[in-house]
Amino acid sequence: MSLDASPRETLIEVRNLSVHFPIRQKRLFRTDVQMLRAVDDVSFDINRGETVGLVGESGSGKTTVGRAILRAIDPTGGEVIFHSATGDIDLAGASEEELRKVRSQLQMAFREEGGVAVQNLAGEALRAFRPRMSLVFQDPYSSLNPRMTVRDIIAEPLVASGLMRNRDEIDERVRDIAARCKLNLEHLRRFPHAFSGGQRQRICIARALVSKPEFVVCDESVSALDVSIQAEIVNLLKDLQEEMGVSFLFIAHDLSVVAQISHRVAVLYVGKFVEYAPTEKLFFTPRHPYTHALLSAIPLADPDASFEPIRLQGEIPNPLKAPSGCRFHTRCPFARERCSAEAPDWREIADEHFVACHFADEFDFSRPNLNAAE
Amino acid sequence: MSRMLTVENLSISFRTDEGVITPVQGVSFHVDQGRTLGLVGESGSGKSVSTKALMRLLPGTASLGADTRMHYTTKDGRVVEIETLANDGEPIRKLRGGEIGMIFQEPMASFSPVYTIGNQMMEAIQLHRPMGRREARSYAVEMLNKVGISNAEARVDQYPHELSGGMRQRAMIALTLSAGPALLIADEPTTALDVTIQAQVLDLMRDLQQELGMGMIFITHDLGVIAQIADDVAVMYLGTIVERGPAREVIRAPQHPYTQGLLAAIPSLDKLHDRLSPVPGDIPSPNARPTGCPFHTRCAQKIAGLCDARPPREIQTQPGRAVRCWLHDDEGRNAA
Repeated sequence: MSLDASPRETLIEVRNLSVHFPIRQKRLFRTDVQMLRAVDDVSFDINRGETVGLVGESGSGKTTVGRAILRAIDPTGGEVIFHSATGDIDLAGASEEELRKVRSQLQMAFREEGGVAVQNLAGEALRAFRPRMSLVFQDPYSSLNPRMTVRDIIAEPLVASGLMRNRDEIDERVRDIAARCKLNLEHLRRFPHAFSGGQRQRICIARALVSKPEFVVCDESVSALDVSIQAEIVNLLKDLQEEMGVSFLFIAHDLSVVAQISHRVAVLYVGKFVEYAPTEKLFFTPRHPYTHALLSAIPLADPDASFEPIRLQGEIPNPLKAPSGCRFHTRCPFARERCSAEAPDWREIADEHFVACHFADEFDFSRPNLNAAE
Repeated sequence: MSRMLTVENLSISFRTDEGVITPVQGVSFHVDQGRTLGLVGESGSGKSVSTKALMRLLPGTASLGADTRMHYTTKDGRVVEIETLANDGEPIRKLRGGEIGMIFQEPMASFSPVYTIGNQMMEAIQLHRPMGRREARSYAVEMLNKVGISNAEARVDQYPHELSGGMRQRAMIALTLSAGPALLIADEPTTALDVTIQAQVLDLMRDLQQELGMGMIFITHDLGVIAQIADDVAVMYLGTIVERGPAREVIRAPQHPYTQGLLAAIPSLDKLHDRLSPVPGDIPSPNARPTGCPFHTRCAQKIAGLCDARPPREIQTQPGRAVRCWLHDDEGRNAA
């Protein structure tokens, strides 16, 4: 599969998504409430059949973005529009009654591969909706119930959502997805403790894909795996995407893995997007100083490669005390007066290349791209 | 450059409910003063267990093989036969910390949450150096400064949970170094850190090693990190060293099929459009260790009837480089 041909049809539109958590601190006579802006005004699209990589350091809010899109946590503002073949439905501000009506549409919409603005769904509607979207978790050891057989684990999303009720139908679907995930069908009757890390991760992927979702969030799905197994899982995800047309939001802190699997990549820093671009542009002609610093810090398994990481001063700021202006200005080697005073706009600096930096036009961080030589 | 540690034929067995397993078999390596040995391998390869044996930190169910030799030369030139020491008692306690220091992946697990950073550092300092409380405290501040912790005078009174991950790992390094070890064992010290922080910590460790002339064993699963920090490397698979030599040469021209596979599986920014090349198959569990060469179940170049039957011996392929593989053992292959 070639990564440069990015599919075009928009599946998910994230517009000005914000997630703020109130942090309460009890004092003697009062309680102070501070807002933790875990995700602040984030906008991007994900196309049908596309993988979007989301990178950032710990505390940058990448997991929160993934969960807010799936409505596993409630966004504070913005919208997440899930595109439907029958037209776009926005439920923002919908009353209970309207919601009830939409719920039935939703059920239908699923069968017709439709869409809906996810963050406005509540309770039952959300449960009905979930089979369309799945999560693959980071730790294959803690996310599998040890008392369920592999078959029941994989079947769980079908059963829990009521998407399928007939046992034979469920069995057939489970066997189909297990085979696609290269699991031994004999193993379906066993319990997960008997499996290695790579096999467990394949079980997790099978469970995420069993309901034939259109969109899957993979949160650090390969991070806990050894490199030899990690490569296998990355290949498997690419194959499944090609077969099933599913879209992935691939969250990881390992940039080289993200580069391999993603069509486009977004970089988060303290709850804000700093850059979003097609993979090759982001890795070989980055425009944001933070992206540049991140890339320079990857230790390459090549003794002749120069390893001169950009020295960022200090530590990642506490999101409770996010810096003024551009959030990166406290560590940016190129920061000027304007950076601490004024937050940079999110702008398209080149075709499909978005960046939030006042001075991005002045920087040339490009590095030799051996891929282009082919 | 003097040799400070020689490990020969290290074998470690554990009694388990399912019988005795031997996750480390016949491991030999050495560390010279001022040099860094990288121990690289995937989970279950026995790299951490091997270094725990050096500190006699293995649980009671573990036992060392009869021909295991672990000889350490102390700062004052005495040779200690670690394999003969008891797991507790004065002799091993003298080695731990003061001679051989250890840094772990998760510093939160090594610090006590109920004492301040300074308290814990002062305890270590006073244990190993003849200093009073006040002196030890100012030495602790000095060490925190040395590892690049800003505002050390205030940090010294903070609790571990008040520091960020990178800060905590620096404090852990400061704590370990404050006992003045000659040999430092670092077990995946940067694995839990973000890349920018990892780069800072690697830098710091390199600088400190040069300044203090320590020997270092750096355990990691990341060959990228090895390429940046190690002078020599030993690649472990299922408790055996399958290849060793100067890090540059091993990474540039790996000789063992497993090392070749590991390097090929690393995603490279120069090959964005290719599929990744995983090492086929799963790592066998330690209680189902394959016969013959432990890697033969996943090796594309295995010789049927030989690799699955008889364990290969270690062959010196170039000065300072060795590989444990039948493909490089012409004599042995012909004899078999």
